[in-house]
Amino acid sequence: MRVVFMLSALISVLAVFLICVFLFANGFPAIAKIGAGEFLLGRNWRPSNDLYGIFPMILGSLYVTAGAVLVGVPIGILSALFLALFCPKSLYRLVKPAIELLAGIPSVVYGFFGMVVLVPWVRRSFGGHGNSILTASLLLGVMILPTIINVSESAIRAVPRSYYEGGLALGSSHERTSLFILLPAAKSGVFAGIVLGIGRAIGETMAVIMVAGNQPRLPNGILKGVRTLTANIVIEMGYAAELHREALIATGAVLFVFILIINLSFTLVNRRD
Amino acid sequence: MSEKSVKNPSQSGPAPKRSEFGGRLKAYRNDPLSGLIALAVYAAAALTVGFLLFILGYIFVKGVPNLNLSLFEWEYTSANVSLTAALINTVLMTLMALVIAGPIGIFAAIYLVEYAKRGNRFVKLVRLTAETLAGIPSIIYGLFGLLFFVSFLGWGYSLLAGAFTLAIMILPVMMRTTEEALIAVPDSYREGSFGLGAGKMRTVFVIVLPTAIPGILTGVILSTGRIVGETAALLYTAGSVAAVPTGFFSSVRTLSVHLYALTQEGLYVDQAYATAVVLIVLVLGLNMLSSVVAARLTRN
Amino acid sequence: MFQCVNSDCGACLNRRFYYVLFTAFLSCLLFGCAASETFNPGAEIVLVSREDGSGTRGAFVDVTGIRAEDSNGQTVDLTSIEAIIANGTNIVMTIVAQNPYAIGYISLGSLNGTVKALDIDGTEISVETIQSGDYRLSRPFIAATRSDVSLAARDFLNFIRSGAGREVIQNAKYVAVSDGAYEVTNGLSGKVVIGGSSSVSPVMEKLKEAYRVLNPGVEIEIQQSDSTTGMLNAAEGILDIGMASRPLKDSEKEALFPIEIAHDGIAVIVNRENPLESVSFDQVKAIFEGLALTWDDVSVAPPR
Repeated sequence: MRVVFMLSALISVLAVFLICVFLFANGFPAIAKIGAGEFLLGRNWRPSNDLYGIFPMILGSLYVTAGAVLVGVPIGILSALFLALFCPKSLYRLVKPAIELLAGIPSVVYGFFGMVVLVPWVRRSFGGHGNSILTASLLLGVMILPTIINVSESAIRAVPRSYYEGGLALGSSHERTSLFILLPAAKSGVFAGIVLGIGRAIGETMAVIMVAGNQPRLPNGILKGVRTLTANIVIEMGYAAELHREALIATGAVLFVFILIINLSFTLVNRRD
Repeated sequence: MSEKSVKNPSQSGPAPKRSEFGGRLKAYRNDPLSGLIALAVYAAAALTVGFLLFILGYIFVKGVPNLNLSLFEWEYTSANVSLTAALINTVLMTLMALVIAGPIGIFAAIYLVEYAKRGNRFVKLVRLTAETLAGIPSIIYGLFGLLFFVSFLGWGYSLLAGAFTLAIMILPVMMRTTEEALIAVPDSYREGSFGLGAGKMRTVFVIVLPTAIPGILTGVILSTGRIVGETAALLYTAGSVAAVPTGFFSSVRTLSVHLYALTQEGLYVDQAYATAVVLIVLVLGLNMLSSVVAARLTRN
Repeated sequence: MFQCVNSDCGACLNRRFYYVLFTAFLSCLLFGCAASETFNPGAEIVLVSREDGSGTRGAFVDVTGIRAEDSNGQTVDLTSIEAIIANGTNIVMTIVAQNPYAIGYISLGSLNGTVKALDIDGTEISVETIQSGDYRLSRPFIAATRSDVSLAARDFLNFIRSGAGREVIQNAKYVAVSDGAYEVTNGLSGKVVIGGSSSVSPVMEKLKEAYRVLNPGVEIEIQQSDSTTGMLNAAEGILDIGMASRPLKDSEKEALFPIEIAHDGIAVIVNRENPLESVSFDQVKAIFEGLALTWDDVSVAPPR
């Protein structure tokens, strides 16, 4: 039986191995055929003319993710502070499940909501097309909230109580102590939460497609549309054939590399703890 | 605001009568930064909850009036766009993914907690890969499922390919929750069992595992929630046929994929809202179930 | 753990929290329902296109001629790079319905009152004008099979091209092209797997339902993807019948026999607030190539 247990544990290793092998084995030949420079730094994506440059999509993913972080991180950390330090118990019983639910809403529903509510709102309030980097950032910012809140909250709660008492004893108010003593003390946990949030934002697909505009060209303004790596895959995977299909899988491989880097930095952040 | 809420002002800050609303405002006048921090914290929490209420409210207001019996008819037709088949497929898909990932996840956790030596290199590797799996976005799972199960193993767009893809996706959740549940079982239980002459295997299956069941259940519910909400990973592995499957190799669509399909063509916007309501109610129910289980867990 | 520290003032916190919540909500509502806009003709046109490879886009680009050959003799799709790419009819419609300055194109079968279809060269889009050829933006719906097609699949295709099939197609707002005879073969059984264009799927669903009433023994499975995948899978034999919403490419014709089952109009749609009622064929082209940038360019100045 011990062997069965061990083999079960081995499955996760095997799964990661297989995912790497299949993504890279199917993606790299295409990159080689197109040329790594051409593929990664090319600015034109026109599959029907055999032009496969994903630089606009790489930038798109980065911009949208950065936007999501700008939106989600301050709100998320402050909400985590609220849950851990400001929230009366009676309210906690309502707010905590609400945040769990925010995490549970399927991304298709987020996308649908973003499309019918957020897009027109952004267009009216800020101008532009509505389908823009800003809209995608706002939507993703909300979507990564639960991740950031949950991880940050437990990190803040894990700070020894003596820190809090020490702060008060030195005459600092509850609010100041929370923000300037407890939060910095929990910073590596909070940072881990942010990294997880980044991972979620860069990998989000269905919601982003519906609000981002998806133009395959270099992003040129916060109110202009953009296409992310994930959107590139889903929009065209359906009918791609031959080199086009391989180029899309290669897009997935590039995304996967990003995710691995993010995972690695998450592990490093955690290890320092 | 009543004065009676002032019980222990010294505990919450320097200003007198701090816990009274007016007093608090006065204190903030002397210490605007604290007031600003409090305002920001409350505003952020209000925003977070506000987002949720707004999203739910919007979908419900638009969707509930469109809920009708024809959406739940047995056979899917283009006239009723019934979600019954999708609902059944969701349940089937969830069961299959859990049947595959459940034992593997639980056994893996047993190995990590009960057998492996702490700090073992293999254990580190397993943890690292499980963390990696947890961080992989669903689109990558979808691509992998397409390349491996659908094409390489030749299963086609099928229930089976979808279930296996999802099983890998929920494996880290199953592993982590079971691991935590097992760790939470006090060592005295194991010692007691060993003391009574039970072997390792017996101890694990008869004493430790039953004690950890609520924790494992949490994992199952969390996984179910993830499966129910999944679209990107299923689109390229399970396909989109709106019918109850006739076998493991039938292509199926789950509720989320059904919703996605409805939003693709312009004919069914009202039904899409109604389907979204059903989907959210399902997720809501799962969340409640999970908090009930979690509450029981903490009581134990 | 910390929350117990100030739980003694729970009541006031509670009230304040709800107050903030309420204010946040109110401001959300105010922003969201900002006063209705009047149409500004000087505003930039917001293009909404389908994704590269979609049958609707392929047909639209073909018919309007929004394409050119480059120096290597390759055909280049000239649709403006600034166009929002929507991968579904509903997404195109939602964007256009919500943005007064947007313009897009969808299948006539999906057209509803949330958006306004423009007349092309003065001709209104309808089943009749498409049939008569007056409305120029139309495309064929194709069912393609390999030569070794199964009996059941052939029977289904016969049904589609019959008078009964014609009725189903016309009820779904498409233009039927044939009116053959069809007789039920008793005891026919088998499974027919159909897949491809998401534009053809809705009408194919309806045809399947009508057919199954007559032939309960035949099972029909419809997989929705897109024209190109449908043709590819049909050629590989994964599908019995592939659906396409555009004419087949030469490479596809090598392996497949195309059968035209219906004609579909492509409606050029704008927001209902847009005063424009009619555009010329060339204006559509100029708009989608990004040459006409504002609505003034369309309604006042003649294109190029």
